[in-house]
Amino acid sequence: MSGPEETQETQELASEYVLGTLSAARRREVEQRLPTDAALRAAVSTWQEQLLPLAALAEPVEPSTGLWRRIELSIAPEPASAVARKSAATGWWQSLNLWRGLAASGFAAAAIMAAVLLRQEMAGPAAPGYLVVLVAPQSQAPGWVVQAVQAGGSQQQIKLVPLGEPGRAAVPAEKSLQFWTKADGWTGPVSLGLVQPGQTVQIPLDKLPPLQANQLFELTLEPANGSPTGRPTGPIQFIGRAVQL
Amino acid sequence: MRRGWLHQPTIRHTSTHVPNPADSSNVFDYERALQACAEGDRMALQSIYQHESRYLLGVALRIVRQRQQAEDVVHDAFLNIWQQASRFDAQLGSGRGWIYSVVRNLALNAVRNGARQVSVDEETTAALENRQAVDAHTDVEDAFAMRANLGQLNDCLAQLEPARRNCILYAYVDGCSHGEIAERTQTPLGTVKAWIKRGMSSLRTCMGGLAV
Repeated sequence: MSGPEETQETQELASEYVLGTLSAARRREVEQRLPTDAALRAAVSTWQEQLLPLAALAEPVEPSTGLWRRIELSIAPEPASAVARKSAATGWWQSLNLWRGLAASGFAAAAIMAAVLLRQEMAGPAAPGYLVVLVAPQSQAPGWVVQAVQAGGSQQQIKLVPLGEPGRAAVPAEKSLQFWTKADGWTGPVSLGLVQPGQTVQIPLDKLPPLQANQLFELTLEPANGSPTGRPTGPIQFIGRAVQL
Repeated sequence: MRRGWLHQPTIRHTSTHVPNPADSSNVFDYERALQACAEGDRMALQSIYQHESRYLLGVALRIVRQRQQAEDVVHDAFLNIWQQASRFDAQLGSGRGWIYSVVRNLALNAVRNGARQVSVDEETTAALENRQAVDAHTDVEDAFAMRANLGQLNDCLAQLEPARRNCILYAYVDGCSHGEIAERTQTPLGTVKAWIKRGMSSLRTCMGGLAV
């Protein structure tokens, strides 16, 4: 139903999102709606523009001399988007900078938070050797957790578990969430299949090398039947690296 | 010493604004810099940093209130700007507005996710409602000196009652939650929420409405 009430609701939500008074949960709700809700996106953008002059009320603070260097190192050695542009054959996912940057930014805090949330999960019989928290690139909100499960012998499985609202967020019509992994030294990400929002899946890794520290996992938005190329083609929804426990 | 970028409030709906040519921020082309970032030009990112880092750090520090954490926010924000510059949509707003939003959103997400210790939670604050309510309509000091040139926004804020205006500024500038504002202003939580809601609605009307 679309009407004046919805418009009013959109406006109020947008204004308090930009103002900053929404709770963490409602902020995430807005961030999830933004990609698909054009009216909300327009309202948020307009508020951002209109309130921007208020940023001038914060006194300027000179950054530490090392801050730019830190940023530079995080985007080094070669710009991600330049790599993507150079060749259509080598995808953007091959850029280590992109992966590094995404995994580094705000990741520790999210990992700690999710590790706390996970304590009950991990009380199960098979203690995982690795933990991966997948966070949304923009908001850093944790959405999924990957646990490695030693299923006896050398056979290894991983379990992908949704976390709270972000992990349950529906994907747009005609789209799917595809799960990928890439360890250091691999030529590209390998698909681990399609996943349903909000549903835990267990995936055998029998065709892949054992899980290793720092291994990357991500969920991307792909066409309904998955990526047509066998490589990620859509935007990253969640991303994270394996941390040894 | 004038803070140059104050004089370009980047309000798209303001047609009367006359840019000051002596002001370097007016000639810095944020949209072009973002476009260059999207094309992998690191100098473009550095030029944004040179123009804005001290102001962005100031904005982040007011919200997260810890120096190291504020620098982390700015660091993460520049990574986001670098990685997502291609997603910036000039149809929706200015490049500068987008850059500030990236910083504010990271800072707000950090504090709302519990990175900042809040001394009073909303429930405790709600108990204030049971106490004698302070008549905040009288004798309210302006908490923020409006030295900056806020353009049309300034006129619209001036039309709000000081108590409501303060609530909006505590939220935007200091990243305060409803509960924190209630505590700061010794005002019942429900009143704060209503003031903010109505205050934002008045602002929207005053600013000429929002296209939906």
